[in-house]
Amino acid sequence: MNRFISTLCALLITTITTQVSAQEQEFETVMTPAFSPITWERLVNSKEEPNNWLMYSGSLDAQRHSSLDEVNINNVADLELKWAYQIPEIDRAETVPLVVDGIMFITEAPSNVVAVDARTGRQYWRYDHELPEDLRICCGRNNRGVAILGETLFMSTLDAHLVAIDARTGNLLWDVEVAKHDSGYSKTAAPLIVKDLVVTGMAGGEFGVRGFIDAYHPDTGELAWRTYTIPGEGEFGNDTWSGDSWKTGGSATWITGAYDVDLNLIYWGTGNPGPDWNGDVRLGDNLYSDSALALNGDTGEIEWYFQFTPHDVHDWDAIQVPILADLNIDGQDQRVMMWANRNAFFYSINAADGRFLKGSPFATQTWAQGLDANGAPVRVPGMEPTYEGIMVSPPITGGTNWYSPGYSPDTELFYVTAFDGEQIFFKRDEDYEEGERYTGGGGRYDQPIDAFKSWIRAIDPTTTETVWEFPIMPRSSAGITTTSGGLLFSGTADGYFFALNAETGQELWNISLGRRVHAAPITYQVDGDQYVTIASGNVVYTFGLDE
Amino acid sequence: MHLQASILWKGLFSIGALSLILVGLPSSAEDAGTLYNTTYDVLQGERYFERQCSRCHGFDAKGNDETGAPDLTGRLSRANNPVGIFNIVRNGVPNTAMLPVDADLPDAQVWQVVSYIESLRYDPASVELDGNPDAGLALFLNNGDCASCHMVNGQGGRLGPDLSRVGESTRPEDLMTAITNPHEDVAPRWWTLEITGPDGVTRSGFRMGEDSFSVRIMDNDSNLWSYQKNNIDSIERIERSTMPSYDGAMSESELDDLVAYLFSLRREGN
Repeated sequence: MNRFISTLCALLITTITTQVSAQEQEFETVMTPAFSPITWERLVNSKEEPNNWLMYSGSLDAQRHSSLDEVNINNVADLELKWAYQIPEIDRAETVPLVVDGIMFITEAPSNVVAVDARTGRQYWRYDHELPEDLRICCGRNNRGVAILGETLFMSTLDAHLVAIDARTGNLLWDVEVAKHDSGYSKTAAPLIVKDLVVTGMAGGEFGVRGFIDAYHPDTGELAWRTYTIPGEGEFGNDTWSGDSWKTGGSATWITGAYDVDLNLIYWGTGNPGPDWNGDVRLGDNLYSDSALALNGDTGEIEWYFQFTPHDVHDWDAIQVPILADLNIDGQDQRVMMWANRNAFFYSINAADGRFLKGSPFATQTWAQGLDANGAPVRVPGMEPTYEGIMVSPPITGGTNWYSPGYSPDTELFYVTAFDGEQIFFKRDEDYEEGERYTGGGGRYDQPIDAFKSWIRAIDPTTTETVWEFPIMPRSSAGITTTSGGLLFSGTADGYFFALNAETGQELWNISLGRRVHAAPITYQVDGDQYVTIASGNVVYTFGLDE
Repeated sequence: MHLQASILWKGLFSIGALSLILVGLPSSAEDAGTLYNTTYDVLQGERYFERQCSRCHGFDAKGNDETGAPDLTGRLSRANNPVGIFNIVRNGVPNTAMLPVDADLPDAQVWQVVSYIESLRYDPASVELDGNPDAGLALFLNNGDCASCHMVNGQGGRLGPDLSRVGESTRPEDLMTAITNPHEDVAPRWWTLEITGPDGVTRSGFRMGEDSFSVRIMDNDSNLWSYQKNNIDSIERIERSTMPSYDGAMSESELDDLVAYLFSLRREGN
């Protein structure tokens, strides 16, 4: 009997201890996700906390590289689904979530954001942005992500507003109109935090807008500076637009840029001049369309520019994420900006002064004989759109487009989703009307899209030569992320998510997710476990190893 | 009422004097259909389409894989008459990238867009052919031996495309080309792949599906095989049709009969 009682007591104690321990664990689980505020120092040093994904491109140099290596070339084939989050609005998901101390922030079409537990995908809160009915958007209802500073998220919205949202509750803190949506402006890209400012671009290059890059005070939403991407009257470069065409010349800024702490320069790409395909009404080089801009990190002033495609008539926006790295090119150690452009040329450019270093085509192109010593294209005559139509490579979607490239400091290779295709370009005469499309033409494929092929191409930025390539059929519009596990993650238009060996391009793992991958992967860690997340169709999937 | 009047006037100014005779005609999708379907209207609709719609639907209205916008030149999945098209253009498709047109756009201009979209398609019933469809059916079943490979309404073989509705999507001249020169334009679905798998066996079959990482075929016995590309030994593509040419095998009038039969294969009312 005594033995029975003592056994019972022991069992009870064990049970109580287990319960307490479970309660403590549960209690901890509830309490610990209260993340600590994201300071500018944390953003500068984001590579030192690879457990988090703190900004659109992962780090200020925009390399999209994570030093996590728990998932690596030896075990990536064991990745398994951990959770899936279904976006309620049916549209394509271009979101790149952020992960902050175990909490994931996912943006959704049209302009919403949801916070979930990064281990389970279960929701903390959601913010639904109220939109007017008369949106002017060229290419679908997209949002690509948020930025975070302190405890506040900053998001672009389709009605050309910038909103600040409390990261703990989803409450709206402020909402400012960046530009008039009914004049053709919209916003889709994640902002970039630079010190104590929220730097953000805009979209609307198909509506005759005048592009700009803005910086806002994070506490109030007050505009700190605005830099127009088309010079005004009397300013340098205004004479590169005939007549009043500069007023409606587009040059939008619809993808997130990069920042260099030492040089105090913000790097940001600009879009096509407008109207897209009829250059007759905007004679000249059309500065600063299709350019990389280097802006002073405090004032927004343009320190230098590099125009990839002067007087573009093919809609080849320079809307790519600039990637920065220290490289030795031609015997000189230097900070380099790498750029695979929609015009099908890859460029290595000195990040301090914008000097062209090297460049060559990375995808099929027929419009230029090559680049001159300054990186300017040497054009093939007669490649401009006509009323009857003319075949040109790359097509309107470009040798690549907005989807993020990547760079691995381990392999010292630059990775890009490339497309080898061609299209018939047409020109049309149009008059500008505020809020109406202003494109001056368009394009048509004369073969099914299946006839073409995409590639992941790995480029040595010191030589601009392609080191390896991996074919994707029929095509891809997915971004690229690399890790110190030796991996490259990306996706395909027909719904695969896959991993390659970043050194060799060898396929290591793939899974069919069923719908288009139209976003870039991220990777992060919670409680010591590494996860990889990608949006496909209208679902955000997260993978990890068996624990 | 006042607002409607102002919209109407705006429309009249924008589409010109021709519309003056149309005052009082359809101003909403509840009406029977478009009366704005003259050559001028179709041209105006095309101009609007090129400017406002082509970014997603393509300059040739054949859709765009990148944007997910559907092909508007064939059968439409969300509308089967001009009123349905009008409603989609006017109101958009909720929860998709298809937005409504500007609320200020006059109905007359929306109807012109509808007329342009309608003009991209054609009415097969209006096409008159020399051949006799009944004679064509007999050829299809007997001399031509077409049914051993092709299905029509659930009857026939699996070694060629189902032809139950081939008259909806294929013009007579293209049907004739497909019969007399089947190798000219072979859809990838009907290429033959010869794959040597991890078991060392080589199998040959139609290309049911292929992507970056895998491939699926159907062999001549209708067996379905699926392979991962990273563990197959070899893959060979034969981009020719398995169908014989009937050029010379049938007389011209027999070919006309066969085309007439195939062209008659449409849903009722289409």
